[in-house]
Amino acid sequence: MIKLENIHKYYDSQHVLKGIDLIVNKGEVVAILGPSGSGKSTLLRCINFLEQPTRGIVEISDKRVDAESASKADISSLRNSTGMVFQQYNLFKNFTVLQNVMIGLTSVKKIHKAEAKKMSLEILERVGLTNRLNHYPSQLSGGQQQRVGIARALALNPEVLLFDEPTSSLDPELVDEVLTTIKKVASEGNTMLIVTHELNFARDISDRVIFMEDGVIIEEGTPEQIFNHPKVERTKQFLGKAIRAK
Amino acid sequence: MENLLDINFLIESIPAIVSRLPITIGIAVGSLILSLFIGVATALIKIYRVPVLRVISSIYVSFIRGTPLLVQIYLVFYGIPKIIYYLQIQYGWLQSADVNSIPPEVYALVAFSVNLGAYLSETIRSAIESVDRGQFEAAKSIGMTPAQMMLKIIFPQALAVAIPNLGNMFISTIKDTSLVFIIGVIDIMGQAKILGSRGLAFFEVYIGVSIVYWILCIAVERLLVLIEKRARRYERGIAS
Repeated sequence: MIKLENIHKYYDSQHVLKGIDLIVNKGEVVAILGPSGSGKSTLLRCINFLEQPTRGIVEISDKRVDAESASKADISSLRNSTGMVFQQYNLFKNFTVLQNVMIGLTSVKKIHKAEAKKMSLEILERVGLTNRLNHYPSQLSGGQQQRVGIARALALNPEVLLFDEPTSSLDPELVDEVLTTIKKVASEGNTMLIVTHELNFARDISDRVIFMEDGVIIEEGTPEQIFNHPKVERTKQFLGKAIRAK
Repeated sequence: MENLLDINFLIESIPAIVSRLPITIGIAVGSLILSLFIGVATALIKIYRVPVLRVISSIYVSFIRGTPLLVQIYLVFYGIPKIIYYLQIQYGWLQSADVNSIPPEVYALVAFSVNLGAYLSETIRSAIESVDRGQFEAAKSIGMTPAQMMLKIIFPQALAVAIPNLGNMFISTIKDTSLVFIIGVIDIMGQAKILGSRGLAFFEVYIGVSIVYWILCIAVERLLVLIEKRARRYERGIAS
């Protein structure tokens, strides 16, 4: 479970997140929607402290971390209980597919190499990449790279998976293979928080949708509520435009 | 008839010159290794903006770049024994060190390491900074410690970027080692000088020593191409 309390983020004088409260229950899949610059990626990155929140509390499975007094150990504990999938994949370029998935197990979790390899192969099987084990990221398509990215995040068996616009830099024809993989991961009961611009995908996959603008959550509800009966005018306008544009 | 060159003397001098090659290579390779540590340390100090150390390291880099290597070699050769002696007399430190028994090769190694370290510092810093930010973020996101991130992810990628520059500096260093005879180290250049004065055939021995330097540098260049290929094997276009 993730619990965010009153998360604020300033870049100098710019107030990017204005007191976000959010709970994601175990096994829940939550999609965060909103226009560019609404702070949704920043919010995601505040959860594992890739961006340090200026104020507020991040709690993951009973581990409460106050942004203003977070120690290195606190931050590392949050990072150990989250897995992140990046827009730009960010696979380790100097590692093969298999090494990318194994590295967290061997160097962070200190699991023995042979065991780590076995676990990694299982996970790569789930994302359908066992035929590319010894390829380097530069030898893979964007879709394949992102599936390795998902496998790398899954390998550490985190409490929560964070997806930061996982399909935004993919060629349109490669989006589906990644979305299918994410759906599969969701169906396995993982707790997930997804920032995305794929509205149909968000509607299909999520248990709950959050709509953000200007650093605040302006509406949240089930996909049915948000997409079919949005209460707030701004949500209606955004989703209407975006859906029409499809 | 007067000959331009005593070819026989030249040819005979070469084995004697080559016999000192381990000294030349030893100083060059030894100082490359030590200077990599200095270069990485000063680069990290700059990148992480470590207070105090940052100032010291930028003075160090500026001083080394702003003074001739020859002067630096003399400073080390005359300075270190004096400093050790002073510490012994004044504070009773380093009592076990015998200043007179330190071989000149050690001073040469120190001088070249300190010199090359300053030049590598900027190369290494820019190579580390050229690594994509996403690589740092991904490493943090899976919970790596800063040391793990640097050693396993960042340095290998930075090294691949830095190799051409490091290689050029290493080749310059090999040639610069020809200065060490001034503090009594008999490297290939020192040996050539000795042979030249013995046979009063300086032109011959300097041709001989040039050939040895030239072949050595060609070999190092070849080696660097292989190392670079190996270090960049993960980049696009090199199939597994």
